[in-house]
Amino acid sequence: MSDPRPGRHYRLDEPSPDLADSLESARTYLPAQASEPLSDEESAAAPTLDAALAPPRKRRWGLLLVLGSTLGLGIAQAGETLYYATLGGDWLAGAWSLVGLLALGLGGKALLGELWRLRKLRRHARLRARLDEEWMQPDADTSAHDPMALADELRSQMGLSTAHPHWQSFVQAHQPHHSAFETRELIAHHLLHPRDRAARRLVTRMSGETAVMVAISPLTLIDMSLMAWRNIAMLDRIAALYGLQLGYASRLRLFRDVLRNMAFAGASEIATDAGMDMLSMNVAGKLSARAGQGLGAGLLTARLGLRAIATTRPIAFEPDERPRLADLRREVWHRLRRLEDGSKKP
Amino acid sequence: MAMRRALTQEIQNLIDRGRDRQLRLAVTGLSRAGKTAFLTSLVNQLRHAGIDARLDLLKAAREERLLGAQRVSQPDLGIPRFPFDEAMHSLATTPPRWPEPTRGISELRLTLRYRTRRAHGLLGDTATLTLDLIDYPGEWLLDLPLLEHDFLSWSEAQLKAMGPERQRYAHDWQSAMSALTPQDVVDESRLAALAERYAASLSDAREAGFSHLQPGRFLLPGDLQGAPVLQFFPLPGVQESDRATLEALPSTSLYQTLARRFRYYQQHVVKPFYREHFRRFDRQIVLVDVLGALNAGPERFEDLSLALSTLMRSFDYGKRSLINRLFAPRIDRLAIAATKADHVTPDQHANLVALLEALLAEPIKDLRYADVPVRALSLAAIRATQAREIEDDGRRQPVLRGHGLDDQPLLIYPGDVPPTLPPRDFWQRQGFTFTGFRPPASDGASALPHIRMDAALEWLLGDKLR
Ligand SMILES: Nc1nc2c(ncn2[C@@H]2O[C@H](COP(=O)(O)OP(=O)(O)OP(=O)(O)O)[C@@H](O)[C@H]2O)c(=O)[nH]1
Ligand SMILES: [Mg+2]
Repeated sequence: MSDPRPGRHYRLDEPSPDLADSLESARTYLPAQASEPLSDEESAAAPTLDAALAPPRKRRWGLLLVLGSTLGLGIAQAGETLYYATLGGDWLAGAWSLVGLLALGLGGKALLGELWRLRKLRRHARLRARLDEEWMQPDADTSAHDPMALADELRSQMGLSTAHPHWQSFVQAHQPHHSAFETRELIAHHLLHPRDRAARRLVTRMSGETAVMVAISPLTLIDMSLMAWRNIAMLDRIAALYGLQLGYASRLRLFRDVLRNMAFAGASEIATDAGMDMLSMNVAGKLSARAGQGLGAGLLTARLGLRAIATTRPIAFEPDERPRLADLRREVWHRLRRLEDGSKKP
Repeated sequence: MAMRRALTQEIQNLIDRGRDRQLRLAVTGLSRAGKTAFLTSLVNQLRHAGIDARLDLLKAAREERLLGAQRVSQPDLGIPRFPFDEAMHSLATTPPRWPEPTRGISELRLTLRYRTRRAHGLLGDTATLTLDLIDYPGEWLLDLPLLEHDFLSWSEAQLKAMGPERQRYAHDWQSAMSALTPQDVVDESRLAALAERYAASLSDAREAGFSHLQPGRFLLPGDLQGAPVLQFFPLPGVQESDRATLEALPSTSLYQTLARRFRYYQQHVVKPFYREHFRRFDRQIVLVDVLGALNAGPERFEDLSLALSTLMRSFDYGKRSLINRLFAPRIDRLAIAATKADHVTPDQHANLVALLEALLAEPIKDLRYADVPVRALSLAAIRATQAREIEDDGRRQPVLRGHGLDDQPLLIYPGDVPPTLPPRDFWQRQGFTFTGFRPPASDGASALPHIRMDAALEWLLGDKLR
């Protein structure tokens, strides 16, 4: 360990920009913490362990190559046909190839858009991991990274402008001496809580609606497509709340993440929920069979929605803040009851 | 069903209203640790909660549920009032001054009004919390181990515990003692003079930065000034092996007189404090001036460490601990704070907490074992500096801007805080010089600037504001 640096006086006329005004560069210049080999080893070992535990990452270069070259060749061929058609005066062939070019162009644009959104999703996931790793310890060493810089990254990731009222109230609450952990608490309060509330309302409404729709739909096939449509719409909107625009591929990916999340991370939660579900299903015995189906669909949607919130939220929930299925169950139940009562009356 | 729910809610409200929501929060620390500043700022922040106080780390305040606080007259008329107005007054003079040092115990009662929290950020009814704030010297807690001793073993332990530098301050008293033996008959005035010399040696040592000094009341006698109960001292040269002969001495002998006073001190000074005050505290914060101890050098620093572990024994609720056997206290949450964090730049705060934890490693272990929730943090009750950055040799350098105690403006990097106790040889090469600052200019009508007072409040009473 090197000695602590001694104190030092500076002239008063030294230009001293306010700490809060110069945050971008602050990270690099804060004095580095004396390094302790133990924690270094730990942090070096942790990622490899994580990587070993994580599912294997496949980059689908082959698929991308095939798609890209198909697009390229198609464009080349259409261009060639167009060229010869104008030379030979074959207007019909020319028009067709023009249409073909247009279609290929649109396809390429869509592909690029998908890639771009996927990249954004990945960046989101990375940021989330960093927020959770670096910021979780209450006494974490604050000098290694500047919390405000990370907060700013999060802000731009969520698509908020610096003038957004939520960001402004966060900036006002934040003090230069706040540690990473404390900053995280403030971010959760000022930036995320309003969105959490909106997301919760959304899930409540959508799952209630799904329940009703499934209950009144006459065909199982329609049920399934209804479920798929509603769930995807819900996922999109939740992601948008936390600043993610989903494309087709990123939606699939998120969907997969959410499902995996439901299967693994939430195993215990599902176990307790399932018990409760059985209980409410028991109650559901009093409902008609179709309403019972609706209840099931609604609860599944609600659970998916809650998981989607937990997956897309940039900072993991505090244990006591996590929205629970139990709160939503009642809502779904009430909607169905109202439906049943309404149908019995006339 | 809805009706039943409404009914249970109603009943719950009744219970809440009926239940006396009350909390006794005690603040302690050794001399000059920053107790008065802490309590002054605490009262000031709570009074300004919801108006201009920034208490973002206090959940109730962040959620805008804290409505405000009011001072009410205290219940114990026998305890001096905490000098809040005097302290605020000296902070508001020009140039601002720190509050005067205080002696002994004092108390202040606040009532807090807040809205209860319901699920999903909804606001509930308003509720009141009565908060009793008590400031008492940490030196009084140093006397707890004294209860384990009798006069003989205490004398032995005291003289053994003196290090070479500490001995210097006791030299005067020791030379006066050298002519005396335990069987001498010593008259009252001579005894008083000797005791005075002993007390002077203690307060000299404290002036010089030592903390582990017994008996604690000799330093802060309060209303006992000059009473014979404070006129005793350890006897040099007595040993456990002589116990039988010493016990057989006549009651007029020096040994017997001192032993009698020692017992009286135990019974009538140490125990009543624990019985009448300490036992009734619900929450406790212990303030530690870590930076001051670093300034004072290695022997003082170790002495502080020793004093703190002695002091912390009062919070060790292990089943077999002394405190539990004697008094059955009920403190259920403890904070340990390094004060004056505004003396160093914000990037050093983590080190400051680490050092505090290193200093208290053993007591904290014991507390965790006894399952007393404890949290260490760094804070500045009244933030006297501003964190800035400057360009220095092409690097950005965090600095502090404030006014020195002599009212001169300063721009300073105070130096690093080591995260662990520095090795011996370091002290010879380089010491620490964390300079003091005068308080920030204030008009007395706005909230005082602070560092992490809100975090301390969240830990100490956040759970009562749900
Ligand atoms: N910069 C700064 N200095 C402080 C702060 N708190 C206390 N001090 C300094 O520490 C000194 C002692 O503070 P007090 O609050 O009087 O300490 P105390 O523990 O009440 O001291 P006694 O009453 O003598 O036991 C003050 O005079 C200040 O110089 C703080 O938050 N910031
Ligand atoms: Mg005081």
